[in-house]
Amino acid sequence: MALIAVSGHPGCRFEEVARVTAQRLGFELLTQPRVQSLAGEEFGAETHIPDKAWPSLVTSILARLATEHHIVYCAAGGELQSRHFPGMLRVHIVAPENVRIGNLMLDWRLERSAARQKLFEIEAADRSARKAKFGKTRPTAEMFDLVLNAETLTSEQMTDLIEKTIETTGMKERGFLSSAAEAQLQFQMRLRLARYGIVPPDKITIRKKIFANQSEEMFANLLDFYRIPWEYEPRSFPVQYDRDGNPVESFTPDFYLPEFDLYVELTTMKQSLVTRKNRKVRLLRELYPHINIQIFYQKDFENLIFKYGLAERPVHT
Amino acid sequence: MSSALLPGIERILFTEEEIEARIRAVAREISTAYEGRTLKLVGVLKGSIFFLTALARHIEVPVKIDFLGISSFSNKSGAPGLVRIAKDLDESIEGEDVLLVEDIVDTGFTLRYLLQTLAGRAPNSLAVCTFLDRNSRRIVQVPVDYCCFEIPDRFVVGFGLDYNQLYRNLGYVAVMKPEKMI
Repeated sequence: MALIAVSGHPGCRFEEVARVTAQRLGFELLTQPRVQSLAGEEFGAETHIPDKAWPSLVTSILARLATEHHIVYCAAGGELQSRHFPGMLRVHIVAPENVRIGNLMLDWRLERSAARQKLFEIEAADRSARKAKFGKTRPTAEMFDLVLNAETLTSEQMTDLIEKTIETTGMKERGFLSSAAEAQLQFQMRLRLARYGIVPPDKITIRKKIFANQSEEMFANLLDFYRIPWEYEPRSFPVQYDRDGNPVESFTPDFYLPEFDLYVELTTMKQSLVTRKNRKVRLLRELYPHINIQIFYQKDFENLIFKYGLAERPVHT
Repeated sequence: MSSALLPGIERILFTEEEIEARIRAVAREISTAYEGRTLKLVGVLKGSIFFLTALARHIEVPVKIDFLGISSFSNKSGAPGLVRIAKDLDESIEGEDVLLVEDIVDTGFTLRYLLQTLAGRAPNSLAVCTFLDRNSRRIVQVPVDYCCFEIPDRFVVGFGLDYNQLYRNLGYVAVMKPEKMI
């Protein structure tokens, strides 16, 4: 799939470049108002979207569209959204302040001083919205693949350059996002949205995942990265019964990987607790021989963390 | 590279001589299996390059070479995103006999993703050859057709395997001192 994320300095008409690019390439144009409209259709028009939920909401909508369309996404922070997708081109359009003030004078029919004031207001609102949604006030050049200067280039010329880049990189030939990749992305995004209470009206609210420790969260992130579906503590297995046959002790493995029918237990605790957990796993295997379970000991997990380059050690409890 | 132990290294697991002998043996197996065919070795950047080079030298059927790289789980921006091909193959593998060459297989996560990706590109055959196999850590069951060494559950470096991008150029495989990995 091809996803072109177009953003730019306020007042440099990057929206026009996005629109012309979408028209010329036959891509679907997704703007901020359209995201809000689609979110209303999906989750109900009255649903409040907190700023922090915005990135997940946009990714969810992009993923849905990307199975059938190539997309031009035009909104602040598009360069951060697009990292979830395999074929992306991040375009940023800049222009000197004088040019942008001139554009605002024409577009809003303003005097120069009023246009200048308008520009400052838009910039402040843009910084504030970026900070609230993405935790960053402004983008930097290395976040983009193409940075174009509207001082010397017209919208048509900028569109030519974007079109040429799409052609050179062969992004259009890659096909749309696969339904498996979409399902994985939706799973993650819906999970995050559910934490803000944003769920489709006819769906059951997904239980908030509260991991027992940082290692479990890291492991979940690793599974997400590799698009491996998982469930957190989905089932408890009684492993000890009293004389009347009532369960007196149960074991709840940390993760279940449905694709492999495999339970995974992370043991990142001190030795005495590991011994207790080993006993439970042994009982589980005896009582439920058809259940596949893999134990990940603390050193296994630390090696995994080192291998994947995470800076911090997992929490030791 | 001198075989004297470097700081941070606990002990040598496989010497240069042991590695050379084992690679020759695996290359013989591969040459027999692919007799009469042309083999495309696909190396996974960066860890496999030393192994792939050594292996290719001893394979006796015609060999083509290509590389691919995948995005790293670790990045500076916080959330890891999704695995994707960061450096794709230069040529199509349609109709080719492909041998995916890995430095190490442990959880199987990476290999599973790569096999799924490559299998969709219509190769004639697709097999896996790994320098090291840490089977004890396998979560995802993936087919490993050729393996030079099975290793214990320790963090190893050398012969392409790194710690913080260092130690790849060691001619041997060594176990890292745990206290050096903090």
